[in-house]
Amino acid sequence: MQGGSSGIGYGLKYQARCISDVKADTDYTSFLTGTLSLKEENEVHLLRLTSGGSELICEGLFSHPNEIWDLSSCPFDQRIFSTVFSTGESFGAAIWQIPELYGQLNSPQLERVASLDAHVGKINCVLWWPSGRCDKLISMDEQNIFLWSLDSSNKSAEVISKDSAGMLHSLSGGAWDPHDVNAVAATGESSVQFWDLRTMKKVNSIERAHVRGVDYNPKREHILITAEDESGIHVWDLRKAKTPVQELPGHTHWTWAVKCNPEYDGLILTCYVLAWKAERMI
Amino acid sequence: MATEAAPMDEKAKRMRDLLSSFYTPDPSVSTSVSSISTSFDNINGPSFDADQYMDLMIKKSNLDVLLQRHVQMAAEIKNLDTDLQMLVYENYNKFISATDTIKRMKSNIFGMEGNMDQLLHKIMSVQSRSDGVNTSLFEKREHIEKLHRTRNLLRKVQFIYDLPARLQKCIKSEAYGDAVRFYTGAMPILKVYGDTSFKDCRRASEEAIEIIIKNLQTKLFSDSESIQARAEAAVLLKQLDVPVDSLKDKLLEKLEQSLDGLQINPEEASKLAEHNVSSKDEESNNQGPAKIHKDAVRGFSEAMRAYREIFPDSEERLFKLARALTTMHFENMALCIKKRISAADFLGIFRIIWEDVVLMDEVLPEASLSDLSAEAAQVALKQFVARTFSHLRQDISDTLLKFDINQKEVVDGEVLKVVLEASGKAILQGTADIFQEFRQLLDENTGIFVKMNDLLIGWIQKGFQDFFRSLESHFLVLSGKTSSPNEAEGLLEGKPSEKIHAGLILVLAQLSVVIEQKVIPRIAEEITASFSGGNSQTFIPGELCRVFHAASEKLLQHYIDTRTQKISNVLRKRFKTPNWVKHKEPREVHMYVDMLLQQLEEVGKEVKQILPQGTFRKHKRSDSNGSNTTTSSRSTTLHSDKMARSNSQRARSQLFETHLAKLFKQKVEIFTKVEFTQESVVTTTVKLCLKSLQEYVRLQTFNRSGFQQIQLDIQFLKAPLKETVEDEAAIDFLLDEVIVAASERCLDVTPLEPPILDKLIQAKLAKSKEHNNNTASS
Repeated sequence: MQGGSSGIGYGLKYQARCISDVKADTDYTSFLTGTLSLKEENEVHLLRLTSGGSELICEGLFSHPNEIWDLSSCPFDQRIFSTVFSTGESFGAAIWQIPELYGQLNSPQLERVASLDAHVGKINCVLWWPSGRCDKLISMDEQNIFLWSLDSSNKSAEVISKDSAGMLHSLSGGAWDPHDVNAVAATGESSVQFWDLRTMKKVNSIERAHVRGVDYNPKREHILITAEDESGIHVWDLRKAKTPVQELPGHTHWTWAVKCNPEYDGLILTCYVLAWKAERMI
Repeated sequence: MATEAAPMDEKAKRMRDLLSSFYTPDPSVSTSVSSISTSFDNINGPSFDADQYMDLMIKKSNLDVLLQRHVQMAAEIKNLDTDLQMLVYENYNKFISATDTIKRMKSNIFGMEGNMDQLLHKIMSVQSRSDGVNTSLFEKREHIEKLHRTRNLLRKVQFIYDLPARLQKCIKSEAYGDAVRFYTGAMPILKVYGDTSFKDCRRASEEAIEIIIKNLQTKLFSDSESIQARAEAAVLLKQLDVPVDSLKDKLLEKLEQSLDGLQINPEEASKLAEHNVSSKDEESNNQGPAKIHKDAVRGFSEAMRAYREIFPDSEERLFKLARALTTMHFENMALCIKKRISAADFLGIFRIIWEDVVLMDEVLPEASLSDLSAEAAQVALKQFVARTFSHLRQDISDTLLKFDINQKEVVDGEVLKVVLEASGKAILQGTADIFQEFRQLLDENTGIFVKMNDLLIGWIQKGFQDFFRSLESHFLVLSGKTSSPNEAEGLLEGKPSEKIHAGLILVLAQLSVVIEQKVIPRIAEEITASFSGGNSQTFIPGELCRVFHAASEKLLQHYIDTRTQKISNVLRKRFKTPNWVKHKEPREVHMYVDMLLQQLEEVGKEVKQILPQGTFRKHKRSDSNGSNTTTSSRSTTLHSDKMARSNSQRARSQLFETHLAKLFKQKVEIFTKVEFTQESVVTTTVKLCLKSLQEYVRLQTFNRSGFQQIQLDIQFLKAPLKETVEDEAAIDFLLDEVIVAASERCLDVTPLEPPILDKLIQAKLAKSKEHNNNTASS
């Protein structure tokens, strides 16, 4: 990983494709990241920013059976997170719990809370209920959206409802609206689609090709940010979804991911290949 | 005494003051000198305190001065004594003469009493005589007065009986003025006694008056009568209590109706203008419409002049009419302007209108028609300038879009070049024409225009400024880069960006360069040559150059974006469809390579038509923007040779080597700044495509055969890509990166043996050659 010239760095042994902030950890600024290596043993790293904010230290290192394509932390329990992984031929998704005694073990194993194994196709991402203690989860493969109910004490997960987006759309990722818990945005081949979880039906869409990443603005309702293949970041107002409100050029090639800063309105983070970059939104 | 001494010396003056203060006991009346010096040390003042004065004197002065003062004072006192004595004597003298006079008066008055009594007596007797005369004449005088009254009455009766006859006589002699005077004189009597004693008389005279009224009305309406006569008629009618206002209304309405005839029809306007010019030149006998129009307006203004004199109180109405005509003129002119007319025609119409205005202004100077028309003219002129520019813009976009339609049918050929040249010419020619037209406007010296020259120059400059700004945004809209902000361009709104031909974007980009480098400097020159002056410099070539420079870069980038997007789609399909984990052994180079090359070839063709050839350069390091560099590459030829030589046993260590080498590689900049050359654009496109290819590879997991397929495809791409691109090092690097990415995502990295690789590539080449031959022969 490379940051800016004065950024704080942390080296992983292998390549990684995902990082997630641990929202439930209120005492520290923590991140979870998982490596993406086809042949070596993959790891999940729990990182913590030291209190001075000058260093990232590794709080935990856990082996993970497969290469990790997506990882997100549970918003209410800092020890629980979800991964989407691939064995090379097939994909799977699971909810994991960091073992309680990990400090004493050499290479502690993660406890598998539940596996989300209703998918047939390639799973792309798992989304947690945006905030607060709610055991709802969404998982997406290329054609289907599943809404799960997680029972962490019984270590099981059940499908509440599902819907198919159809063959053509091939969903690739998404975001859960923090302002309206019934709305989920999903990026597809040629559009960003919006689903209503109550009816599990598509309600709206932004016709935009090659969207790679999407995030809601946590401070302002109806504002959505997308990252696209052709070096574009666009800000949208969902009430006027025809044309973008703002275009932020700057990336020379694909922009993979985009995140809004949860604290400061207008600060967004975009990811270009694997280099992280914070950009000031004007 | 003081009165005798004209040149009054100090002493005499003081004397007089003292004396006057003596005679006037009231100190406030005393003269200024004494009133000023009221302090105690002033010896002449009323508030003089002798003791205090003495004290002061003794304290202040020595003995000599005191003595001197004593002598002086003694002399003064002596003088005063003599003066007093003289005064007393004189007064006594006057008193004696007054007593004498009173004595003389007493003796004179004594004999007057008897004369007075006599006078009284005589006056009494005169009064009694005059009373006697009065009483004796009284009766006769009364009788005479009575007779006189009767006579007056009789005369009046006589006049009324004579009235009809007199009126008839007046009608005959057309002395309507007298007739009206008689009639109005007799009116009060007729009103009172008309129903009783003078019934016949009244009827007869009313009939006569009716005839008079009728005559007067006809006189008023007849245009042949002199204005004076008509005005008199109007006045007489008014005196006769005939409702003149309705008459006036009728007349003015007639005038108003005639306005319609004076309109300049937009259709005929240009014809009119032509005739106007030609009739001036040739003095042609057949009256052109211009002449007719002119006469009509002249008639109109004459009529207005007449009415103005006839009805002095109708001015407002006339003003309104004249204003209406002027505004109508200018409204028609606005219609003409909407229809796109040349400057000459515009001026022609303008001249006609101006002549009309001048004619009317002579008649009604108070209507401030010239002000009104000056304002309207400003508006019209401004509109004209604006219109001209919008027409130019329309022309340019028409030229661009006209060819675009043909474009889709003819992919090859020089269509883009033709479009570029045509639109470039359209801009140059269009602006030149505009200058021609505006110069005509400036040369025009009809009244208002001279005043408006400065304004006009301002508008022209601003017009150019706005024109180029709007042209730029129009370009961006045409290119689909931005959606059009206003509804007027709704035609383009529905067009999604994919449907806009990429070539058009390229043309627009180059056109922006042409505008920046050629058109704007030329216009700036022209403006400084003939349109400078004015109050503010609103045409800022520097700013426009910057705008178009930015636009050209934006458009070029947009072109590359649209192109790479297309190729990206090809790649996406290629990588999404097969199951790479279960890929079969590679048998041939995959066909997507052909599509990729074909797309690139298309780009090359378009670029060749539009952009200039750049000087061939190897990779540049200096003018790239540092933030977008990736820190990796390696000396390439060596590496690729190695790759080719490697066999399956050494593959793993080979790849490790690749990784290691990456760390020490020479820095190669992938994303350099795009320049306006064929090579730069093609190179950038290829680079972006390869980068996308790499990204797609990184998303998949390959088995051995899958990796080998990628290896084969990339190997095949190497040669044709290097041909098209100037920056071979970067291409090599990017292709290697694809291989590296594939190997990273591969479960079993076993590269193809070089002989097999060669064989497959040769087979592909042979096949494509054959294909080419086939298409050529057929």
